[in-house]
Amino acid sequence: MREFLKSTRFKILLAFLAFLVGIMIYAVTKGGYSVSGASFINTATKPFRKVSNKISMRFEHKIDKINNADKYYNENEELKKEIGILNSQLTEYEALKTEVEELRKFVSIKEEHEDYVLSVPCDVLGYVANDPFRSFTIDKGSADDIKPNCPVVTAEGLVGITIEVSEHVSTVRTILSPDLTIAAVCSSSNADYGIIEGSVKEAEKGYTKLSHLSLKNKLKPGDLMITTGTSGLFPKDYSIGKIKSIDYDTSGLSMCAEIEPCIDITRLTSVIVITDFSGKKEDD
Amino acid sequence: MRIKTTREQRILYFKTIFRWILYYVLIFVSFIVMTSGTWLKPVLLVPIALAIAINNNQYGSVVTGAICGFLIDIACGKLFGYNAVILAFFCIVVSLLFELYLRNKFVNYMLITAAVSYIQCRLDYRFYYKIWNYDNVERIFRKYTLRIWIYTVISAVFIYLVIKLINHFLMPKNHLTIEEVITTKTQQNQ
Repeated sequence: MREFLKSTRFKILLAFLAFLVGIMIYAVTKGGYSVSGASFINTATKPFRKVSNKISMRFEHKIDKINNADKYYNENEELKKEIGILNSQLTEYEALKTEVEELRKFVSIKEEHEDYVLSVPCDVLGYVANDPFRSFTIDKGSADDIKPNCPVVTAEGLVGITIEVSEHVSTVRTILSPDLTIAAVCSSSNADYGIIEGSVKEAEKGYTKLSHLSLKNKLKPGDLMITTGTSGLFPKDYSIGKIKSIDYDTSGLSMCAEIEPCIDITRLTSVIVITDFSGKKEDD
Repeated sequence: MRIKTTREQRILYFKTIFRWILYYVLIFVSFIVMTSGTWLKPVLLVPIALAIAINNNQYGSVVTGAICGFLIDIACGKLFGYNAVILAFFCIVVSLLFELYLRNKFVNYMLITAAVSYIQCRLDYRFYYKIWNYDNVERIFRKYTLRIWIYTVISAVFIYLVIKLINHFLMPKNHLTIEEVITTKTQQNQ
């Protein structure tokens, strides 16, 4: 041992250890950056390490799968059940969310028009089979104070009017029908009047028609048409639809316009019936 | 003349009741189909009423025709009773035609269904649209009435098969085969 301690070999080894300690101390002083040697090694070996790591990871993954197959299987089954529960909760949540959003919209109608007496929200039972003008039935009737000729609306705009009312079901004629005429005025100018009356051609596209417009009207596409309320059948200032295009009538003596209803009448799920409002024409 | 034993009679009653239940289940399902969705649909209840009429007596046919008609009125939003009258009338006529003049064949059924459903569609177009002189009213005939008629005729093929299937198992036979007569006679003699 004494011989070894006195040998040159020992001195060389000691010097090397000291060199290493020196490197270590130098590395400490670099404040987080690699010393150039380490950096070179890292750079040079990077691609190899990458490939080898990938291979080993894959290998470990495979081995892990084999070793823990039962565990993963059970975990998978539990997760599937959990997903099922979460999905059903999500469906319920979405349904509730939609319902709340719709109810919120209906509340806004009441807030904006205090004189309205509204029915409870009505679900659309279904569209009348093969009707070109998209009449539909709702799940409320005379038991809910709904009478014939009550306006049917959504928060977005006017939908139509009740035409046939039974105790728990009512049929609604939409604004796409030529059998329903509504006096309308442009909301921005409050001057250009016309009659909204459905037509066969426009109903195919889900639009309705504004006719009897003056030749000097100042309407332009995008203008919103609202009810005038003069007939006593519909409340005043309720949105009907926006102008899509304007053209001359077949006679050339007046103008007509294509109106896109504020709400897609072909895809309704729930509506509300205005059972009473100020200015309503009383039935004879 | 068919010879019936008490047991045979019981089976006959049971089959008849079960057959009519199945007819009305089919009518109910068709009504539900007609009231669902927003697409154009065949008036399924017309071929059903006619298929029942060609296989049954006038009383059963007229009642079924009227019920189918009422259901069409509800599904299509027509005046309650309008289609009931039309269909009840045609069911009687068809039932009589098949009893007296026509054989119960697929081709005959299809021809009769095509004719009756065309008349029904045409009358519907006339009284609900044409009469009011709407602008471009002929578009309704082209785009709705004709399509509905075609769909109805196509659907009649499937309805015929379903009714045929029900009748195959549950319709009492009108005549005995020679073997059946011999067997029945032998049983009676014993």
